[in-house]
Amino acid sequence: MNTVLDFAYETWAVFLREALLLKNKLTKLGFVFYSLTSPLIYLAAFGFGFGSRISFEGVRYEYFLVQGIVSMTSMMNSYNLVMLAVSYGRLHTKSFQNLITSPVSALSLMTGTVLSGILRGVMASVVVILAGFILFDVFPFGFFSAVALFFNLLFAGSLGVIIGLSIKDLEANAVIMNFFIMPMNFFSGTFYPVDNLPGFLNKLVYLFPLTHTNIIMRAESMTQPVLLSLIILIILTFITFIAGVFMLKRYSE
Amino acid sequence: MILKIENLHKQYKNVKAVNGVSFEIKKGEIFGLLGPNGAGKTTVIKMISTLTKPDEGFIEVKGFDVVKNRHDVRKAVAVVPQENNLDGDLTVHDNLLVYAALRRVPDAKRKVLEIMERFGIASKRNELVDKLSGGQKRRVIIARVMLAEPELILLDEPTLGLDPSIRREIWNLIVQIKNRGKSILLTTHYTEEAESLCDRVAIMSSGKIKRMGTPEELINEAGRFVLETSGQDGCRVFRIVRSRDELDEAMKENGSAACTVRDARLEDVVVIEGGINEHGA
Repeated sequence: MNTVLDFAYETWAVFLREALLLKNKLTKLGFVFYSLTSPLIYLAAFGFGFGSRISFEGVRYEYFLVQGIVSMTSMMNSYNLVMLAVSYGRLHTKSFQNLITSPVSALSLMTGTVLSGILRGVMASVVVILAGFILFDVFPFGFFSAVALFFNLLFAGSLGVIIGLSIKDLEANAVIMNFFIMPMNFFSGTFYPVDNLPGFLNKLVYLFPLTHTNIIMRAESMTQPVLLSLIILIILTFITFIAGVFMLKRYSE
Repeated sequence: MILKIENLHKQYKNVKAVNGVSFEIKKGEIFGLLGPNGAGKTTVIKMISTLTKPDEGFIEVKGFDVVKNRHDVRKAVAVVPQENNLDGDLTVHDNLLVYAALRRVPDAKRKVLEIMERFGIASKRNELVDKLSGGQKRRVIIARVMLAEPELILLDEPTLGLDPSIRREIWNLIVQIKNRGKSILLTTHYTEEAESLCDRVAIMSSGKIKRMGTPEELINEAGRFVLETSGQDGCRVFRIVRSRDELDEAMKENGSAACTVRDARLEDVVVIEGGINEHGA
């Protein structure tokens, strides 16, 4: 019992720091616009450009688009916030060293940090959902979307910790962005169904967690492909989270 | 004994940063690690604080092994690092509050207010840390470690880069901490800082401890007088001598009119232990 309470308290302490930092950052317009401008432009441009002309399996394109952009934005926001907090704190401000030498377990440190990414991702998702509602009168969000969003954010935050702990300078993140995150955003069914992709690519995109997030996000019932995607996403999330805890536990300079 | 270090080693690529360091710190003592940049002082601090794992050797804080009992060690130790590691985007108050939460300080809100008063930073409570001067940031960092009342405080070059008046202020804060019964490990390359604050000092060079003792013991061991003469190329030459007889002999050799004599200081011992017996200036 004590261990559970210790875990909860330590996690709250780590989350408190991140939440206070996030609160202060939200007053900076540059920070807010940095992560929301692109998704909102995509939403408006693709929505107005193709919205009324396209539908997928009888579903309005705007509906499809909002769901895809929520997946993409939530992942980007959670990943970026956590990755930057860890790497910048470790390499530049050295505030990470203060965290890692505190009497807080690696599990709590991981959970508190990832929770801050989840909070940030949820906030960004709410903005996109609201924008979709205002611009296109759609609200494509239900139980499956919530499940997809949760695991997507948990995965992205955990990945943020791993990359934040691994990179030797912030420029190294550009490689991750250009060769992993960006292709994933465009090929994982964010803007169009992955079935439209040619054979080889169509198989390859199933390695991306965002593809499975999009499948679950758009699900209306628990079919076999949805269940399979959910299992894959949960396994990927679990492995990434545990890897992050392990790296924090073994952290040494 | 609050800290016990035995035969500590740490290597980074081809550089032996710490090479067989051993020392102990008693409860309530200020122990100084004195040495030039690159001597290995910060690496020792990092290993004690659990930030860096030793390659070899043994560190025990309050009887807890830093590798096996990291959680217990982290409860007992707090670090004032060489670089300011406060959260610049948080206010002074929030920085302290977060630290108190991480260290599970009971009645944290009241304690934070109390500590801000005690360290003279209450008027800055709502200011972002990024807006503070270097000296004010140092005050906040030192106040921060005192929130948790740790038993061992590691001060890594606490006055580096500060002007002399602020350095004196920080010294006063360190004395305040000692007066509350805390043990302190202080690294510095300012000899006057070590002389003024430390009960015992170890002189480090190239990852090794060259000498250890009270500042007076170290001076007496190395020599009592410093003889200053002019060298062949016109530069000044310093030489430490142990006794009055040795001094008289040296003055005779150099011609007494050309010599200046003064009492040896800890700084002179550090120069000797750096491998230089006579140095030009």
